[in-house]
Parts: sequence; structure tokens; C-alpha cells
Amino acid sequence: MNEENNIQHTVDQIIADKGTATRVVIPILQAIQHAFHYLPEEALKYVCEKTEITPEQIVGVASFYSQFRMQPVGEHIIKVCVGTACHVKGAGQVYDAFRRHFNLTGKEETDATRKYTIEKVSCLGCCTLAPVVQIDEITYGHVASDKVGNVLADFEKHAGITGTKKVIFRNVDGSEIQGEIRLGLGSCCVASGSEDVKKAVEETLANTGIKISLKNVGCVGMCHQVPLVEIIPLNEKPTLYAKVKPADIEGIIANHFKPLGTFSMLKNSVYKFFESVQTDTVWDGVKQYSIDAREKQVSDFLDRQIPIATQYRGIINPLDIEEYKRHEGFVAMKTCLTELSSEAIIQTIKDSGLRGRGGAGFPTGLKWSLVAENKSDIKYLICNGDEGDPGAFMDRMLLESYPFRVIEGAVIAAKAVGATQGFFYIRAEYPLAVKRIRQALIYCRENNYLGEDILGSGFSFDITIYEGAGAFVCGEETALMESIEGQRGFPKIRPPFPAVSGLWKQPTLINNTETFAQVSYIIREGSGKFSSIGHGKSKGTKVFALAGKINRGGLIEVPMGITVRQIVEEIGGGIQNGKKFKAVQIGGPSGGCVPYQLYDTPIDYESLLEVGAMMGSGGLVVLDEDDCMVDIARFFLSFTQNESCGKCTFCRIGTKRMLDILTKITTGKGTLKDLDELEYLASWTKKGSLCGLGKSAPNPILSTLKYFREEYIAHINGKCPSGKCQDLIKYQINDLCIGCTKCAQKCPTDAILFKPHEKHEVITDLCIKCDACRQVCPVDAVEIV
Amino acid sequence: MIKLKIDNLTVEVQPGTSVWQAAQSIGIDISTICYLEGTEHFTSCMICLVKDAKNGRLFASCSTPVFEGQDIITNDEETTESRKAALELLLSEHVGDCEAPCQLVCPAHMNIPLMNRLIAKGDFAKALEVVKRDIALPSILGHICPAPCEAGCRRKQVDEAVSICMLKRYVGEEDLKSGNPWQPLLAEPSGKKVAIIGSGPAGLAAAYYLQQKGHQSVIFEKGNRAGGELLQIDPEILPVEVVRQEIATITAIGIQIRLNETIDNVRFALLQKDFDAVVVATGTITEGSEDFGLKTTKTGFVADKNSYWTSIPNVFAVGNALRASKLTVRSVGQGKEVATVIDAYLKRGEVSAYPERFNSKFGRLAEAEFIQYQKDSETTSRQKAGKEGFTREAAIIEAKCCMHCDCRNPESCVLRELSDRYHAIQKRFQSDERLNVEKFIYREGIVYEPTKCIKCGICVRLTRQLQEEFGFTFIGRGFDVKVGVPFNESVQKGLEKTAVIVARECPTGALAMFSQEEQL
Repeated sequence: MNEENNIQHTVDQIIADKGTATRVVIPILQAIQHAFHYLPEEALKYVCEKTEITPEQIVGVASFYSQFRMQPVGEHIIKVCVGTACHVKGAGQVYDAFRRHFNLTGKEETDATRKYTIEKVSCLGCCTLAPVVQIDEITYGHVASDKVGNVLADFEKHAGITGTKKVIFRNVDGSEIQGEIRLGLGSCCVASGSEDVKKAVEETLANTGIKISLKNVGCVGMCHQVPLVEIIPLNEKPTLYAKVKPADIEGIIANHFKPLGTFSMLKNSVYKFFESVQTDTVWDGVKQYSIDAREKQVSDFLDRQIPIATQYRGIINPLDIEEYKRHEGFVAMKTCLTELSSEAIIQTIKDSGLRGRGGAGFPTGLKWSLVAENKSDIKYLICNGDEGDPGAFMDRMLLESYPFRVIEGAVIAAKAVGATQGFFYIRAEYPLAVKRIRQALIYCRENNYLGEDILGSGFSFDITIYEGAGAFVCGEETALMESIEGQRGFPKIRPPFPAVSGLWKQPTLINNTETFAQVSYIIREGSGKFSSIGHGKSKGTKVFALAGKINRGGLIEVPMGITVRQIVEEIGGGIQNGKKFKAVQIGGPSGGCVPYQLYDTPIDYESLLEVGAMMGSGGLVVLDEDDCMVDIARFFLSFTQNESCGKCTFCRIGTKRMLDILTKITTGKGTLKDLDELEYLASWTKKGSLCGLGKSAPNPILSTLKYFREEYIAHINGKCPSGKCQDLIKYQINDLCIGCTKCAQKCPTDAILFKPHEKHEVITDLCIKCDACRQVCPVDAVEIV
Repeated sequence: MIKLKIDNLTVEVQPGTSVWQAAQSIGIDISTICYLEGTEHFTSCMICLVKDAKNGRLFASCSTPVFEGQDIITNDEETTESRKAALELLLSEHVGDCEAPCQLVCPAHMNIPLMNRLIAKGDFAKALEVVKRDIALPSILGHICPAPCEAGCRRKQVDEAVSICMLKRYVGEEDLKSGNPWQPLLAEPSGKKVAIIGSGPAGLAAAYYLQQKGHQSVIFEKGNRAGGELLQIDPEILPVEVVRQEIATITAIGIQIRLNETIDNVRFALLQKDFDAVVVATGTITEGSEDFGLKTTKTGFVADKNSYWTSIPNVFAVGNALRASKLTVRSVGQGKEVATVIDAYLKRGEVSAYPERFNSKFGRLAEAEFIQYQKDSETTSRQKAGKEGFTREAAIIEAKCCMHCDCRNPESCVLRELSDRYHAIQKRFQSDERLNVEKFIYREGIVYEPTKCIKCGICVRLTRQLQEEFGFTFIGRGFDVKVGVPFNESVQKGLEKTAVIVARECPTGALAMFSQEEQL
């Protein structure tokens, strides 16, 4: 079969499966790309011939969504995550190192042998392993720029032999990461004998072959409990052990990392543990088995948390519908379908004070009543799971781990507003979430929790999955609906609001995933219980993705009103490596930075707005003294500029011009007048943009200008105080150098001459500031000035 | 019906009417670029932002439906600033020239490219008309002008500048030689009189354009021949006969010349009373020159450089009387400009600056752009003009080398008009990089210059609505979004049925018909 026939044959099959209507253009493109790994023009033209889709539509759509590739790619795709957490941990240098490795110049993305294609992705949702690189289905965590060769070597070793389709996590040396042991090495810990404990850990690891990394951490503040050992199985709940003796170590490690005895639950646990390493974010399914009370678990990650959306965390298996039912699953739905009127449901939600968890905080009950008021034979419900914040993965975790809870919330909402058809719009980058929801929907239909006449109540409702195709702006509701209709994700002006005229011009309820996940609890436990949690006008809990320069990152569900300090210090265990807290970035590209002087700001919608941040989707990235705030602002602007849909002037050009100015400043070419222009543009982009993306895009600038103006001025004066901005720094080797030559061996540009036993030097003109020398130096002799 | 207030005027409209339409219905014209009646609104340019007086929020009026009790402000300081900001952002990526660099460089601001195109077509008569809109003395300048325009000519970067000056001379002299030179249409007599002191290039030009505007021009010349400093030029360079003929031609429209009339301070005072305006065009001042009671410096009389208004009401000064210069074309240009200023002064009673229009410009060509610009010219074997000037054939060949740097939509461009109105500054947010200009030219049809596109989407909406097979579409997203034909098909193919209508509705010069002339 020649190539053209092959393409036509494949496209014919795809069309037979997806249909010929204009609205199926995105699913058709996704299927074509799945078949060919890119979109051959031939195939697109053939689609236009055979369907109602026009050239204008197909080219417009294919070029809008970042998932689609118009050019053939290499055999393997290397995705370098440049999300917020990875960015602050040096993802840019890792990306550059890959490009250097393949000698890529200009805009080239595929190496000469056409084996590898390298691309940046905005977030892989593995923020706690930052910086992260994914090659095909294998994810590598903690990748340093000088480890690129090791990563590729390991990949080639495994790609050749395993042929595995499972996503697995590996260390850069090729070992599978099972977790981490952190040992306090603050002065109190050392004084209490932590060095002996360290030896015991090393011996145990050597004897058992367990692949966990031993990490020394500074003082964690609980000096009365030393020595402290913290066990962090990959993305599982960390456990802190106090007053540990060397003899306890073997038991502690075995407790977390390998089966003990013959408990009946054990196989299940171990199986689930390994399933859980498929993704960074799956917390589900891992049974806790604290076998021995001898271990003194004094404190942990969960103490300050209140699980509502994440209720029964670590207890229920995501796809075990019976287990979900045993844990109060579908009780609320039954009550709503058989006992409560629409009005009663809406009143309960109103009374609970629940507000949209997507970021803006519109009162959920009010939204529901607006949709309910509109009389129409057809009404739609959309669950917004297009989580695009480059430092957030709450929706993903909820969809993957609590699919039934989200579905239950959606069915309750459907009953309340009278929706006839539902859509789950899930981000393309979340294949596991799609898989889980798809399976969960099947189980629900089998149990008559979806479909015709649900549970004999007379109410009929079903849900279809719609996979996004890579566009941050589609988290904006009007853009999301355009996308479902098969168009470019251009936002539209409101009014009309979706409640009046939404999807296909019908009244539409659109809520965030997390909002739906909180509904069943409210119905079951009563609005009063929910509204008793929280602060001011913000009731209940909020799920956050906690990452960055923090000791304990991860997903947390906390009561509204908890302070930044409580999250960082108590839940997050403080700043890594004993550094100083500088700020926390809340709300990603729409949010802002909360600085140290506002450390006690309560986290609720109003307080965050007041300090110039925003709840946003719920990403919390903690920054320390090494982070440059101008660089952070520039990072977010380059994200929003890239993700702007390109429709309205203020966002399309305004974000670009703000980025231009920030680039000028971070390369030392800025002037004081640039700051005025930056503020002018920020203010007009905020006031004049069409949708929320543009209106909030200046927030990272405005908040850093407000709290860290002196850093901007320092850059204008030619200095980056945190040593982050490459054009403003120089690498130098100081007198601590022992002449070991490691730096010279690592230097990719021969900017350090090989001089054994002598003090080395950096030739500044040749230095590309890749940081490899500094990372490899055993005595911290490489410094940034 | 829905009742609302716009700029404090009450208006009642049907439900579903947009705020923009409601304003229109009571004669309030809100600026917009991307809105086109008859197509679905798109809300991209954001020029039409208006303010909700109740909450201070700005919103796009073109696409927001009215609701009962709204109170809208369309023209306060903030909405005006929003339009200026939006325009400056659009201009920051608008790579294109409204007017060609040669025209901008020309001190008389002559429409050189248009002249060139008319010559290329062999239409010398029309070419002369175009020249004489700005230059009263083309034949004379054809001999003596140092041609700063040719320094601005983009062709110079590619190979050699177009011989603009010699082309203009050819056009001028052909007209003089015809024996029946072209004469402009004159406005109805206004009943106003203007005295011009001095018959040099500045005075003659001022008189020529004032007379055309209906004001009786009277030139007072102290010598026995008209021409001023022109008469001192070596006849080998500037033949006496050319001077005589050209002055005779322009004064023949009714200008009175009084020779041998010296104006001293006393007579000057009388002229000021007898005439509605006085133009001082007495040439380079020397020791012993009369000062007419005007403020002077060492170089000459003091006048506002944008209106030529002196320190005395109804007295203006131009040419070398302000500052000695060998650049005759500048004096000629000032003569034209002061005529416009005085015309407005005579009609409205107050002096305002010579109107300077907004001009988008992008500077030198990048090397990659040479080939793009040459697409708009036809180059065969060029011949240099000798001392005798061009032959007809050589002039046509030379004129065809012009690369049409000027925009095809300089008059209809909404971006230009609004940038003018809101005093937008193009350079304000420009970054160092710019896109390279591309020109897609179909000589029998349409021209597409993507770097002038402001992504308003009118062409996309029109081609969709009119069911073009390919049409135009948005390609990519964000700042880098482009408007183009799907599958890289030709522009011609994208606009098979709709080229004319799409070119007409394009609010900038991105899409235009090839032979379109808006300034003819």
C-alpha cells in the first residue's frame, strides 16, 4: 500500500469512528496524530474532502492547540518540563543541555539522526520531583544539567529491552526511585547521634538493595525530638520518626519499602504501591499499615489537613465502586435524586457557602440557580478539568483518584439545574485521568448511576469525555465551550453568560473539578458542617499543589483561612537546605507572590486578592532566597504570552511587550523608564483584555513590582541579587579549589582548562553558564558573582 | 425596548442591540477596527472600549448587548487613553509604511511613488498634476534640487535609487513644452486678499496655492523680474527660459505681481491693514533688511515652525527669510504649507499648525526584503538621464523601478486614521526585532502584506460567510498568530470569489487590490 493510500485508509477508519460533523474535528485530529505521530497535510486535506470540516477550520484548529504537530518527529520524544517548580530548580539549563547534547541550533527540535525530538512542556504534574524530564513513557526526576548523558544512556538501555508501556520513574543513574529517607543533620541532630543513624541507613540500603535516596536535611525545628528520620515513599504520605536509634532503622525502612510478614492486606498494598509509582500524583490506593506502634510517629504532613474532596485519602481504590459505596459513596446522590427537590439542593449548596474552586470564586449555589432558572429542553453540564497552571495538578489528582466522587457531584448538580447531558473536559496531558474517568463512567452506567432513569428516580443524565488538546486558555469557560464545539479556543465576551447561552447556545452549567468533588460531602454532612470550616466569605477547604523549595511538597487539602506560614512551615516542613523563605507564588500565571512580610496572610479568596495574588487554580510554589523575582515574573509572562489565544490586542500584544521589557531588564538593558512602561502596560492589559487570562496575566508583574521593586532596580543597575539571570552573572572559582579537575571534565565548552592539583579558572568569554561546574564541584569552590 | 444612557443622552433600543449600535443610533460614533456590520462580532481590536459608569469597568461596546438602566461613558479620559494604548500596541507590530520614505524625506512632501506609477503607465499629464499638488515649480527644481528624496529611496539599498528628480523634471518640462500647460481648478473667490512680499520660490509657491484656494494673491517684488534668488543661479545649471516659463505658468492663474515695489516698514503696516494676511518671503536677510517690526534673530525672522506664524497677528514668514538655505525645495514646500495654514486661518479666524498626518514607518529594508520589494517593480535596462534629461521611454523604464514602498490604503486605513485621531506613537512599545515584510502580489488581482495585518479577523469571517473554498484562517496562536490561507495555498486561491470585497473591508493595508490608487 503506498503512503497516500495508507493515509486515506487510516483517515477513513477514523472518520467512520468519529463521524463527519464539524464539532468532531479535535477528536479526528487527535486520532490522526495518534496514528502518524504528527498531522500529515495530506490527511487533513482528505478530512476536508470527506467531512463537513473546512480547510479554514481544520488548519485554524490544528495550529491553535499545542498538542498537534505539523512536522514529523523523531523516534522518541524528550519532554523537558518547564513548569514553575521545575523552572525554579533549573529546568532551563537542563533543556539547554539536551540541545547541546544533540547539537541543535536555531529552531531545530529533532536531532540529525531523527532519533530524538526535544520539546518543552508546561507541566508534567510531577512538581515534587523537579526538574523532570520524560522520554516517551519513562519519567526521570531530579535531572541536573550535567546528567543529560546519563539519562539518555539509561533510556537507551531500557527502551531497547523492556518495551514497557508503563510510566515509571527513574533516577538519573537509572535506578528506580522508590522514595527518599531524610535524616536531620542540624546541629542538635548531630549532637544526638545522627551520624550513627546515617551509617545504619546506608548499611540497610546496601543489604536490601532498596532504591531510596538518603538525603541530609538541615534542622527541621523539632530539636526536642532529635534525631529525626523522615521516610518519604514516592508521593506517599511522609512519616516522621523521632528519637531514632540506629537499631530501629532496619525496621523503619522495611515498614515502608518492602513486605513484612504475611498480612492478608500485604500483597494488595505492595501491588498498589507499585501502581502508585506510575504517576507522581497518585496518592490513592496505598493502604497504610502501621504495624508496630513502637515507632513514634509524632507528626506528619496530614495533621493540619481536612480531607473533603480528598476524603478517605489513601483508603479507597479509585476504580473500586463497591469500596466507594462502602465509604458513603453515592449516598448524597441518592438523597438528591429521590428525596430532594432542585430548589432544596441549590439551597443547601448556597447555605454551604461553596464557591467555585477554579479560581474566581463565584458562589456555586448562585451559579446553579441561574442555570436552573433558564427553561430549556436541553441543558448542558461541563466539568472543567482543563488544569493548565504550570505548577498545579489538583484536578488531575481528583480525577485520577476520586473519579466516582467527581461524577457523583456532577450528577447532583445536573439534577439541581436540570441538565440533560454532561461533558468532562480533561486536559490532554492527563491520559491516566481520562482512562480512570472513562472506566468509572462505564461502572456508573452499569450501576445505573448514569443513563436513563437513574435509580428509578425518573432523572436521566449521561456524561461524555472530551479531551483537550493543549491550550491553557481553554480553562476559560467560553474558550472551553468553543473547543468542545470544534473551534479554536477563542474566548467570547460575556454576557451572554453560559447559564443563559453556553454550549451550542443552550444554558450550560460549568464548574471546576474540585467544586464537583466537594458537593457530595456538603449534601451528606449538611451545609452547616461545611460552612463551619473556613474563613470570612471563603468556606470549606481548598486543595493545593505544594511545590518548590520546600521540604515536603505534595498535594494538600486545607481549611480556607490557613495562613501561608502554616502551610509552608507546618505542612511543608519549611524551606529546603536551611535557606530562607522569600515568597510563595500562589495561583500560577494568574496569581502573585506573597512575600515574607505577609507570611501570615490567611489563604482565602478576598485576602489573596487584597495582597495582589489570587486563589487561581491552587498551585503553591515556594521560593527561597536563591530565586530571582524578576525572573519569576518573566517566567510567568513567557507562559501567558505563549498561551494567549491571540485574539484581543491587550493580551496578544500587551503580554508580548511586557515580556520584552522583562527580558530587557533581566539582561541588564532595562531603564527606570521601562518600569513605568511596564506598569502602564500591566495596568492596561488588566483593564482592557477580553478574558480572564489577559486580565490576570499582569498579576505576577504587579505583585513582584509591589513587593520586590528593589530587585527590579538592582537589575537595571546591572546586578541580579540572586544570581539567576544569566546575562548578569559570572562564574568564578575561588581558593577552595582543590584542583580535582571535575569541573574541567564537565565543562561543555572548555571554558575551564584542565589543571590537575592547581586552582582552576573560568574563562568567562567561553562560559555558557550551564552551571555544570558548580553542580559537580565537591568543595563548593565554584561561585556565581 | 431597553432604555439606557450613553454620554448622558437617553436612548431606547431593541433588546439584543449592542452598546455600539445604540450609540450609533444617537450619532455617537465609537471608534472600532475589527467590527464589521453584517458579520459576527469578534472583539479583537479592543478599540471600542467604553466605560460602565456604575462600576468603572471597561468593556467592548461592539459585542456587548445593552441592558436596562445602563449608564455608559464613551469619551472620557480613560476610554480615550485605552484607545491610544490599544493603537500603540497594534502599531508596535505593524511593519509597513503609510507613505514611502522618499515622500517623507522630501521637504515638500511630494507624493513621489504616485508620480512614478503614473509615469510608468505613460500618464504624464496626471503625473504632473500629482507633482503640482506639492511642488509649484517642478521644472526649476528638476534642475537645481539636490534630491534628498533619492537618499531616502529604498531602491538605493537594492541597486540604485530611482532618479526621482529627473523624472519630475521630465514631467514638468514636457508640460511647459506642450505650449498649453496644465492649470489647476480654482476654488470660488473667497473675497480675501493675501500680500506676499518677495517673488522667490517660497513666495511664488505660497501665492500659487493661496490663489488656488480662492484667495487673491498679490506678490510685491522689489526687483524688475520675478524669481528672487533663483535669478542668481548660473544659467548653465538653471536655464533662464525655464525660470521665465514656469513662473509665467503658475502666475497665470490670476496671481498679481507688482514689480519694482519695495516694502519698507511703513508700507508693511499698510499692507497689514489692507490685506487679510501677509506672507513675508523676502529671502535671506542681509544687513539693512527691513525688520517690519517682527522679531528677528541673526538667521532671520522668528516664526512658529509648524504654522509659520510670526509674532504679529496675520503675518506669516517662510523660506530663506526664516533661515538661509540652499534647499529650494524646502522653500517651495513651506510656501505650500503656509498657504494651507492661512487658508484655515482665513476661514476659521485662528491659526493652527500645518496638519501632520500619522505615518507608520519601519526604516531600512533587511536584505531578505529586497526581493519582496522588487516584486512590486519591473526592472529592465535602466538608462541614466543625461544633461538633457530623460527621454520618454527612459523615464518610463526608470519609473517602473519604483518599488511601491507606500501603502495601497493610505486614505482608507482605519488604523492610520485612528492613530492620527488619538495621537498614537508607533515606537512606544516597539521592540528591537521586527518581522520581515513579505508581499504576495498578484498583478491582476490582490496584494497581501501579512506584516500589516492586525488580526482583526474580518477577512476570516467574510471568507467563511461567503463560503470560499479555502478562504483565510488564523494560523497559530498568541502573539505569533498569523492570518493566511490554509494549506499554504496562494492568496489568489484563498480569495477566489471574494478578493474585491475582502480587499475593500480590510481595515489596514494588509489586503488591497494591486492597481488600487487612493490618492489619485
